[in-house]
Amino acid sequence: MPQAPVQTQPPQPAAGRGAAPAQPAPSPKVPPEFDGLAIWKMEPAKLLALVKDPNSTVFQKAIACKKLAFVGNKDAVQPMAALLGHPQLSCYARFGLEPNPDPSVDDALRAALPKLKGRQQVGVITTIGVRKDAKALDALTKLIDDSDPEIAQAASASVGMIGGLQASKVLRAALDRTKLPVFPVVARAALLCAEGLMPANRTQGLELYAHLSGSTMPEPVRRAALRVLNAAGPAPAGMKQYPPPTGEAADKDHSGFLGRGR
Amino acid sequence: MAEEKKGLTRRSLGKALAAAGTAAASAGTVLGQAPAPAPASQAPAPPAIGPRVAGVAINDQLVFGGIGLRSRGMHDLRQLLSDPRVKFAAIADIRDSAREMVKSTVDNYYKNNDCVMYSDPAQLLARKDIDCLLIATSDRWHGPMAMWAAQSGKDMYIEKPAAMSITESYALADNVRRYGVVYQSGCQRKNQFAFEFAVGLARSGKLGRLLEVHADTAIGLGAVDAGGHGWWPADAPEPNPLVFDWDKWLGPCLWRPYNSNYPDRGRGEFWDFHAGLLEWASHTVAMAQWAADMEYTEPVEYVPEGGTFRGDGLIDRYTIYCKYANGVRLILRNHSWMGLGSCSNRFVGTEGWVETGDSGRIEVSSNLQPLLPTAKGTRYDPTLEHMREFLESVRARVQPRANADVTAHTHVAAHAAWICAQLNRKLTWDPARRMFLNDEEANRMRSRAYREPWRMEALASSM
Repeated sequence: MPQAPVQTQPPQPAAGRGAAPAQPAPSPKVPPEFDGLAIWKMEPAKLLALVKDPNSTVFQKAIACKKLAFVGNKDAVQPMAALLGHPQLSCYARFGLEPNPDPSVDDALRAALPKLKGRQQVGVITTIGVRKDAKALDALTKLIDDSDPEIAQAASASVGMIGGLQASKVLRAALDRTKLPVFPVVARAALLCAEGLMPANRTQGLELYAHLSGSTMPEPVRRAALRVLNAAGPAPAGMKQYPPPTGEAADKDHSGFLGRGR
Repeated sequence: MAEEKKGLTRRSLGKALAAAGTAAASAGTVLGQAPAPAPASQAPAPPAIGPRVAGVAINDQLVFGGIGLRSRGMHDLRQLLSDPRVKFAAIADIRDSAREMVKSTVDNYYKNNDCVMYSDPAQLLARKDIDCLLIATSDRWHGPMAMWAAQSGKDMYIEKPAAMSITESYALADNVRRYGVVYQSGCQRKNQFAFEFAVGLARSGKLGRLLEVHADTAIGLGAVDAGGHGWWPADAPEPNPLVFDWDKWLGPCLWRPYNSNYPDRGRGEFWDFHAGLLEWASHTVAMAQWAADMEYTEPVEYVPEGGTFRGDGLIDRYTIYCKYANGVRLILRNHSWMGLGSCSNRFVGTEGWVETGDSGRIEVSSNLQPLLPTAKGTRYDPTLEHMREFLESVRARVQPRANADVTAHTHVAAHAAWICAQLNRKLTWDPARRMFLNDEEANRMRSRAYREPWRMEALASSM
């Protein structure tokens, strides 16, 4: 509780954040070719023209995409989607597309998904997850088994973020077949998915939590699931609907929720 | 009033206010339960923060790891090391010089060579013997690191601003709640006497019916307040990642060419790396929301006045008038303070007012003079007290004053005000739906898409 101010050390100016700003060291000047102000003030039509213009520099296209995130409409979707494979501009294109509410963004991202590789594909997978595009679930499901762990992890996470019953089945199955380093991400995605299920599909949500409370799960996920199950209270009649745990998970389960002694 | 004054010291007043449940309603949230936005009068008293423990068994120590400790982080580290309940075991940093500086400090303190260094935080997070984290990276890493730490089951003391966007604010709170970890943001003024006193006056009714809570947003922050969408040109090849990992330094921010000035000077210059108003608002809005008993919500209306958002990184003298659903106003301004120090707050009610700041001095309306502490306030660093509250919270598995939910709502309010300033128009916010009403551009500014391969792993309900 509030205590009198114990002088723990000699009075001194508070260091770091929140302290009075110190005199900064002189910084380099931003050169005219990298000054974003003029682009930032442009109307959407001019921003779009910059993105489309093959003579625009990477910087010009980057800042135009950045501003189009806030002011771009349907017309901005295809020009920015065309940059999704660009090594430097892919992140700017996603930055521009991700908050755009036009549904054509989802179509563009789904169309781009199979054409991309590596980090660019990872980025698009993540944006699909953020936008919760359920139409992409089938494509993402396949990518959970991709040989590139970053792609498999991103796909798992996005399936969890999209959520819903189909996603829960996908992740439940993936828990049984994925291995490190993808498995922990699948488990976290399933935890997200379970939480998302609870309001409308409580029974299915609790089933998924019950599975995630098994001893084979990553410890933080297991503890998180157990806390929800404990808060939900004993599982009386409804418990009969849950598939009983089997094998090692059942043997090692000490939660009292799934135990064989029940 | 004379009777009230008799025998009243600032310690006894603080205790009296606290006993009335006025000064710390945010504490006492048991992990795993939904945050209860209980009014102060119903809030349980938080656990007392005990004196320093003279002797602590090794098994009772909390094992800490650090991530991204430099100037502010080293300050935090020195405070943390002084508590015998703490065993600092490892440091992760993307630059070798910073890793070695921390190791040297820690090893010198313990007189051994045990502090382990990692270039990748993932390696540190994978260690099951690490209980808690001290995180003081640059701003852009705070949100992702908090989520990452929560997903790894680690409790954390983490510097502010805690999140670079409204979406990230909610996502970090969701992750902390989901994984049941203890989170304390570096909002150390929540354990600083002058601010506790001022908040106590507001929450105890000594100011009458509360009308306004004011938050200082600082003058002279330059580019960070608004624009800064430029780049510095490449001036050198990207360094060896084992020496300085440029890709990781950028974190979730948009790509830009490497310039050797960024690591030391880039943070305050560019929109990508800075949360603008939140440099101070993450402190002062937190205190204002605490005083107004609005820690689990945000204002519903934001009106800019007097400021000129020039788009080149500068906002002139400005005021942002915000209003909670109950009519109380939150006023963010960078001018007209009484000179009581940085990060000032002022709370105004129908029967009086109080203003304070980092100087430790407290000014009140004349009718409240008898309540003032007899001793003159002084400037002091409350970080150690703030850390002690964190350590006690870890032990008790309760959430401290600057917990993730409180921090998220503070940041959402401040981000909403910053968006209002950038757009220079009135905005209406719906806290339940977590969105602005009838303003698509403002709604799009709630988030900043992460650069690949970073991701939030946030729920649908986050937005």
